[in-house]
Amino acid sequence: MKLKTAYLGEIEVAESSIVNFEHGIPGFEQEKFFALLPVEDNEVFNVLQSTHTESLAFIITNPYTISNNYTFELDEATVHTLQINEEKEVAVFAIVSLKETIATSTINLKAPIVLNTTNKKAKQVILNNEEHDIRHLISTESIKG
Amino acid sequence: MLVLSRKAGETIWIGEDVEIVISEVKGEQVKIGIRAPRSIDVIRGELREDVSNSNTEAVLKNLDIFKQK
Repeated sequence: MKLKTAYLGEIEVAESSIVNFEHGIPGFEQEKFFALLPVEDNEVFNVLQSTHTESLAFIITNPYTISNNYTFELDEATVHTLQINEEKEVAVFAIVSLKETIATSTINLKAPIVLNTTNKKAKQVILNNEEHDIRHLISTESIKG
Repeated sequence: MLVLSRKAGETIWIGEDVEIVISEVKGEQVKIGIRAPRSIDVIRGELREDVSNSNTEAVLKNLDIFKQK
């Protein structure tokens, strides 16, 4: 399908790249569908582009590459909502707030995006613990590592 | 919004599945117990608000940062 995007213009995207947030995400509750797109020349980051609102896109990344000891327990509500049957069908992303440089940008480790890669159902999970920051600084070192 | 007056020990049911128990009232603070199915998220309002603000800040404004190589 053709998709109008904020920064890549109009592009052709595969249906398989569309993920469904049944209840949107906090602040954007009406946005139910996003396309998961690559960033040109960059394998670390992806773009999460709303299929409904051209100007709405986020940069996301794998939180495990930013924070070596990142762990959280999937709560039953998420497992139930996303109809997760086994661990290997789960993918985890975190939303990045881009600043002037990547090193000064922050990543939201408190509210990871959990995706069931089998059925493409996704949800931004809010973790109920004090371990993870909403605005965790991305250091240059962690990007290299 | 429905506003109900309750005393400590009294409860409110929301639908068939969710029970709210007012367990203690002390000055400005109210302790609330929530009995809900595990399929329902129970999240503190200010935390959800923080995540919502963070998401709003994170809306992609430009991709130039990736071109500074």
